[in-house]
Amino acid sequence: MSGLVSADLAAHSGGGEVSARRPGYARFVLGRLLGAAGSLFFVLVVNFFLFRVLPGDPARTLGRGRFRTEEQLEAFRETYGLDQPLPQQFLTFLQNTFTGELGVSLRYRVPVSDLIVDRLWPTLLLVGSSVVLAGLIGIYLGMVSAWRRGERFDKISTGVTLTLYSMPEWWLGLLLIATFAVGAGPLPGLFPTGGLESVNPPDGFVAQGLDVAWHLTLPVITLTLVYLADYALIMRSSLLDELGEDYLVTARAKGLRDVVVRRRHAARNALLPTTTVVALNIGFVVSGAITIETIFSIPGLGLLSSEALTIPDYWVLQGTFLIASAAVIAANLVANLVYGLLDPRVRT
Amino acid sequence: MAAEEPVTFTVGLTNEVDSFNPFNGIEASSFEMWALTYDYLISYSMEDMSPEAGLATEWDTSEDGLTWTFTLTDEAVWSDGEPLTAADVAYTYNRIIDGGPEAATWGSYLTSVESAEAPDDTTLVLNLEKPNAVLPLLPIPIVPEHVWSGVSEDEVKSYAAEPEGGEPVVGSGPFRLVEGTAGGDTYRFEANPEYWKGAPHVDEVVFRVFKSEDPAVQALIKGEIDFVEGINALQVESLQGQDGITAINGDSPSFDEIAFNTGARDPKTEEPIGDGNPALEDPAFRHALGYAVDNELLIERAYQGAGRPADVLIPPAYGGWRWEPPEEDAFTFDLEKAGQLLDEAGYTMGDDGLRTMPDGSPIGTLRLYARSESKTSINVLNFFQEWLAEIGIESEVTAYESNKLTNIILDGEFDVFEWGWYVEPDPDSILSYMTCGQRGSWSDSWYCNEEYDELYAAQNAEVDHDARVEMVHRMQEILFYDSPYLLTAYSAIGEAARTDRFACFQPQPDPGGVWLMQYGAHNYLEVRPAEEAGDCDGVETAVGASGDVGAPDEGVGTGAVVGIAVAAGLVLLGVGVWAVRRRSTAGERE
Repeated sequence: MSGLVSADLAAHSGGGEVSARRPGYARFVLGRLLGAAGSLFFVLVVNFFLFRVLPGDPARTLGRGRFRTEEQLEAFRETYGLDQPLPQQFLTFLQNTFTGELGVSLRYRVPVSDLIVDRLWPTLLLVGSSVVLAGLIGIYLGMVSAWRRGERFDKISTGVTLTLYSMPEWWLGLLLIATFAVGAGPLPGLFPTGGLESVNPPDGFVAQGLDVAWHLTLPVITLTLVYLADYALIMRSSLLDELGEDYLVTARAKGLRDVVVRRRHAARNALLPTTTVVALNIGFVVSGAITIETIFSIPGLGLLSSEALTIPDYWVLQGTFLIASAAVIAANLVANLVYGLLDPRVRT
Repeated sequence: MAAEEPVTFTVGLTNEVDSFNPFNGIEASSFEMWALTYDYLISYSMEDMSPEAGLATEWDTSEDGLTWTFTLTDEAVWSDGEPLTAADVAYTYNRIIDGGPEAATWGSYLTSVESAEAPDDTTLVLNLEKPNAVLPLLPIPIVPEHVWSGVSEDEVKSYAAEPEGGEPVVGSGPFRLVEGTAGGDTYRFEANPEYWKGAPHVDEVVFRVFKSEDPAVQALIKGEIDFVEGINALQVESLQGQDGITAINGDSPSFDEIAFNTGARDPKTEEPIGDGNPALEDPAFRHALGYAVDNELLIERAYQGAGRPADVLIPPAYGGWRWEPPEEDAFTFDLEKAGQLLDEAGYTMGDDGLRTMPDGSPIGTLRLYARSESKTSINVLNFFQEWLAEIGIESEVTAYESNKLTNIILDGEFDVFEWGWYVEPDPDSILSYMTCGQRGSWSDSWYCNEEYDELYAAQNAEVDHDARVEMVHRMQEILFYDSPYLLTAYSAIGEAARTDRFACFQPQPDPGGVWLMQYGAHNYLEVRPAEEAGDCDGVETAVGASGDVGAPDEGVGTGAVVGIAVAAGLVLLGVGVWAVRRRSTAGERE
């Protein structure tokens, strides 16, 4: 979508400026890259100390009723490096991170990188497809609502999306489970109550894909419904801002069909703020959707990090937050770079 | 009889498995997985979890209690065909004795055991430094030496012990793990038809992990799963009316308590630390409050009826170890008596309607700390606050996240809190938490009593069972009158089964106990399709022993097809509506 916008703008800006833009853009890109790397390092350092400030001692949280003697607690701390002084732990952490090691989970006793890889794709599938769906539907609803502001469509669309937005996710999820998974009245239970795939998945890639899609239907619908308002409202208000502009009058005066005016002219200009929201949300995809993952028992990253907090499982927290921050920073960077292309004014 | 379709028993777990590696896992669910995969030297009886023959058929102690000799069965075989011998048992124990992560998990069971030896294939000898009465109850899964000798001390801390390259985990138990990873959502076990105690009656056991209880309950109603554990009392109640489902609150050997700061002191210097209320250092004050707690009401209101009123550390499930207060001294809810006892101890009522310290100074406001993640904990302390107010003691309830509360307890900066303990079949561990040596570690009441400590050390080394029982009784008696804890409830765990499909769950403890999450894999061996139940081999307490047969459920496969068809239909419909709208808009504006 941003590709379309940039091509459009580039065409408008004219060929003469292209050569003059290049050196400035390279410097701009370099600056943004350095900035991103800096933010990432900052996040690394903050994460380490942030999680150490959390109350709780993993050996005691995990070992209640199990590590009965001081010797047992000590053996546990020694095995997982918790007996080291904090500066030492910090150095090990930096060293490990730069060599691509994320440590061993205190709860699951397996390398954190393995855990993250296992949990990444359920989250990507769940949150990713919800963001895309919510983006597409939301933008469309927002566009039409703005175009017909005050009419029945606008009232219904805005009202419904806002209602869904203000519903607690877990409640909406449970409602959908009770209705569509267990079945209500004449309606049979069409979808599974939770999980990511059947216990005995069917053979064949396509069949397995369908099985996962079947399992993800309800959680994705829940999340999409909740996210809708975000996009619909932003799109609606930014399009409303455009409606009074002269260029729309010109476009109409040219005799263009209404739908063309809306799609080609008004919507494109109104898309900029929405693009930012989409880009940022894509960055947040990796942090997962804790509530929905809990309700539908989907083993994703959100659940992993929220459960790690209760221990606290330092290495898992550092790992998941590193990945999540990296994704947000990367999405930000991309948004920045695209903006630089779209609007030369932001390059300075 | 080989059925056409494999019989799969599906269990919904509300707690996930943290590790399939028996040297690393901690969660109760992990114990369940090991019980399916491995064998144990000693088994636990269904009646009261007392020791029974496991791999060991007989055992004996030397006169001085320093040598234990076990005679093992020669029938046990590893799933890869190797025989299970005493050398495997010795190997497993020695890994723990040698320290490292193995010792972190299991060390306390083998304290004072110097070495384990296997003079021949069916004889295991444990050499002790000093007698250890906790033997022979060892809940340690026995692992195959020929597999684990390839896992070094350094590797074991992150060794998953999960199926690799399609090969199931090597074990000797009634089932073997063919698919699943700790933290994942599904674990699939296949029956071991060659199991030395006899083949299971089902072909597969599948565990599905639910991250919250309500969807698990829904899945049971729908028939996606055949069993659910770890649900709450309200959910049990809602399931009890459903056709084909039997739901219980099974007794679990654990208790909840209201605990006091009995005087936090640095265990090394004996210097007071923290800021506990001085009134609570007086056993007479604490004991008097025991008459100001209505356990019956708490069970009904804070526990929704699940659980039993509690009095001493050892729950009724372990009848042999349990001491019961004499009838005239047993706690009853009697605010008048509580007030009278407080008067006698010098905490008389002041002019302002509040009790004072014996020297006339105000007692102040007691800080009652609940665990924020437990509604029950908060409710219990709210009731306690009201009862305290009625006998002239001011208090206020604050809820803390349990990690935070742990820190507060270790700093001694509290007056009262609410928590609970799981009680193992051998009373040693629960009794140890009340010793002086555990202050600053697991002792959360900071209780310290010399006589108690002497008895603890003595019972731990007392090989004569009856003599030991007497000491354990005396220890409970001391705790009852000193009251570092006021016990509120022996907990219950909600479980429900599709008894229209599966039968023959025997409770542990029997009667009144849980059906799964027991000590050992008993019910996984006994569970069978309801139509084959018969009299469950004569076990009268087993569910479905009469053989009430329900209708079999339809498969899940058709559900998938319908679901996809409906989803596809919805998408098509959406696209169609959108296309129509778009055209009409264009039409009317053009």
